[in-house]
Amino acid sequence: MDVRDFTVAVVGSGGDGAVTCGEMLTHAAAGEGLYCFMSKSFGPQIRGGESFSQIRMSEDMVLSQGDRVDALVVFSWPDFLRFKDEIELKPGAIVIHDETKNKDFPDGLPINEFLEPRIIHVPFTDLAEEAAGNSLAKNMVMLGAISEFFNLPVEGLKQSIAKKYKKKSAKIVESNCAAVEAGRKYVRDNHEVESMPRLSYEKSDTKMVMNGNEAVAYGALYAGCRFFAGYPITPSSEIMEWLSRELPRFGGVEVQTEDEMAAINMVIGASFAGAKAMTCTSGPGLSLMQEAIGLAAIAEIPCVIIDVQRVGPSTGIPTKSEQSDLLAALHGSHGDVSKVVLAAADVEDCFDVTCLAFYISEKYQVPVIVLSDQFIGQRMEAVPRIDLSKRKSFERIKPSIQEGEKYERFKIDNGGVSPMAVPGMEHCEYLASGIEHTESGSPTSAHSIHEMMNKKRFHKLDDIREDLTFVRRYGPEDAEVGVIGWGSSKGAIKEAILRAEKLGMKVAGLVPQIIHPIPYDKIDEFMKPLRRILVVEVSYAGQFYNYLKSYYPVPDKLMLYKRSGSKSLTVEEVFQQICHAMQSEYVL
Amino acid sequence: MATTAEATEITVTEEPKLKPVDYKSDLKPIWCPGCGDYATLSAIHQSLARLGVPTHMVAVISGIGCSSRIPGYCATYGFNTIHGRALPIATGVKMANPELTVIAAGGDGDGLSIGGGHFPHAGRRNVDMTYIMMDNNIYGLTKGQVSPTTPAGDTTKSSPYGLGDRPLDAIQLALAYNVSYVARGFSGNIKHLVEMIYGGLSHKGFSFIHVASPCPTYRGIDRFKEYKERVVYLDDDHDATNPLTAYQAALRDDGKVPLGVFFKQERPTLTDNCEAISRKALANGQPTIEGIMDQFIP
Repeated sequence: MDVRDFTVAVVGSGGDGAVTCGEMLTHAAAGEGLYCFMSKSFGPQIRGGESFSQIRMSEDMVLSQGDRVDALVVFSWPDFLRFKDEIELKPGAIVIHDETKNKDFPDGLPINEFLEPRIIHVPFTDLAEEAAGNSLAKNMVMLGAISEFFNLPVEGLKQSIAKKYKKKSAKIVESNCAAVEAGRKYVRDNHEVESMPRLSYEKSDTKMVMNGNEAVAYGALYAGCRFFAGYPITPSSEIMEWLSRELPRFGGVEVQTEDEMAAINMVIGASFAGAKAMTCTSGPGLSLMQEAIGLAAIAEIPCVIIDVQRVGPSTGIPTKSEQSDLLAALHGSHGDVSKVVLAAADVEDCFDVTCLAFYISEKYQVPVIVLSDQFIGQRMEAVPRIDLSKRKSFERIKPSIQEGEKYERFKIDNGGVSPMAVPGMEHCEYLASGIEHTESGSPTSAHSIHEMMNKKRFHKLDDIREDLTFVRRYGPEDAEVGVIGWGSSKGAIKEAILRAEKLGMKVAGLVPQIIHPIPYDKIDEFMKPLRRILVVEVSYAGQFYNYLKSYYPVPDKLMLYKRSGSKSLTVEEVFQQICHAMQSEYVL
Repeated sequence: MATTAEATEITVTEEPKLKPVDYKSDLKPIWCPGCGDYATLSAIHQSLARLGVPTHMVAVISGIGCSSRIPGYCATYGFNTIHGRALPIATGVKMANPELTVIAAGGDGDGLSIGGGHFPHAGRRNVDMTYIMMDNNIYGLTKGQVSPTTPAGDTTKSSPYGLGDRPLDAIQLALAYNVSYVARGFSGNIKHLVEMIYGGLSHKGFSFIHVASPCPTYRGIDRFKEYKERVVYLDDDHDATNPLTAYQAALRDDGKVPLGVFFKQERPTLTDNCEAISRKALANGQPTIEGIMDQFIP
């Protein structure tokens, strides 16, 4: 049975290498030119804990993690129970486990029997000991076995083994490949594969494999970021790690700070002195940075803040995703703060949105917060090479002041942006401050100046709204029902719309890249002709819905689908809501 | 009338040396009469003039507090930031442009209370900049509450029954934080204070100058006189290269306030370390932005 789209989940304990297997499969797929999407999930332990990876691959663009798996590989059933909420089987799914373990469930395995899964025992451990002389190679046996069962890219797999272990030794590469072959042979000798869901695809050009955090870091480097300061926090630390390796190769500086307040303030200092600068964090760190974000806004200093959201509030669930930092990003600082909030929707978009953040920040001299989340940040995707020529960048406007001329840093000319001098430039010495100031930078407490300066700073948001007209809209022009969501919900929304389209439903989708200043006109244009509008978000409090409501006299035709995070949004749940919206009796 | 030769001679003389007044901005300080910060400001201007660094190559960074108004009174680049964050902001400035002379300035509350978490790390990184802490033992800007250096037992607006907490000692902390230049001056002796600040500005690494800068408004005019009697100067033969003698000098328990350079050490700065890292990172050649994508190819 040929399939064009295949999803497999692998669950095990730390030593089983469930995540390593997922990464190798992803590399294998990308190596043969397939699109691929790998999400992973960990228990709270640092080492030796349970982990799970889910890999979906296809020749066609893969938009989401795949709601239900075609195949499930279980190294350990007790570990599987930790992820039971996150793994759903397709009817008749293939479940493969190691028969040399798993004596824990004498009354039957903890899976839904109504779905009539087909359970196959493969002695991974024994085969590994035979073929590689080491039971640790059982995950390689597994990879060989599933590549044989499901026609997964075996050449790509061997290449990725060679690349991963070449630094260790040729012998390790050899024994791992032997283990893969042992798995393949076992399946050939003992099983009939024709009835299995077998991936059908043509090889094409190799794709890159990136996670969202790497894409953010690369985007920043490309956009000209040469100063980074950050404090480690799950799930954002990979951004700092990547930049600590790459920035020094491009004349940049990375500093790991004592806390998040130091991080954002160093970034502001570096930008004040002329560097394009960025920090990254997750929810708890964003809370700590809020005061300084207000400083950047009033002192009109460009800076980029990446927030890879996790479940909140407080410590929440650090290793899982949620879209609940939205209101903190929008309204977290005290006072009237002119800042920009962008949202990345997938791995490739992490690169784009980070570039865009620097463009806006440098052009309009505002702090820009980019919201990513654990779901995008830590998942791997196969993406085509990035066409760098399409990405725009911007160099800050500097004043040209002659000796004897007076430089006014916050001069109000047309628009809100004034040329920005940096220390080292002659005749432009000025005072930047968090205290309200006049056009020349002198401290003031006058109402009239405060009013004028607020107007100047907020004027920039209007200009940004004019400048950036890009919105992601899906579906037909004559759609009846629309779905609005933001950030990482995009994949599930787009795929749900495509599914609805196939069934003859007219559904459109809108996922803005820029959340604040909200592109009113575009959203209004989208909403007007629709009979029903569904807002989808992973936030118990419905933060995005409330934000939209605060900007629109929203009609009754707005429906809300929201829930807590710690579980990725699925295509199925969005699709069900679309069906519900289609059937609802409301008529305009 | 000047001869041609003389005229030529005039044109080749160096640019006129900057005077302390050239570092003074047009803003008039709004400190209380008798505030120690006037002396510190003057000492900063004199030290910069002695260093001869042009105004556009200087950045003065502060947090919040009476003394943190100082950047506004300097004709250099300045940044009056938020409470407690002068050191990280100044670090960012220095790292973005190592050519700049960077001064961070503020009070005891700014540096030892709300911003106390940054001081150790500026010390351990050895950022090449000068940190001037004007210590008045009180929160002046908020009109008279306890500060981290208010002596135990004192009554203030927020300690009406007398303060139980013990004060922090900025010099002892700086030594513990491995700050590479640790000195103390007194607003009552500008000449000595200039020596301390100039020494800090000339020092390659993180320099810390603790300034006893009494607050006449909330600590009383007597406090200045009292300080004047308490200050003593470190001996000429004080060994500032030895951490042990530095601690001994700082740990005096006779009520005297020693002034001078307690400790001075040359060691690589954050800029030096970043340059060394950059050399290591480039050992395998300089990649291109486009070429970076190859590392993502499986």
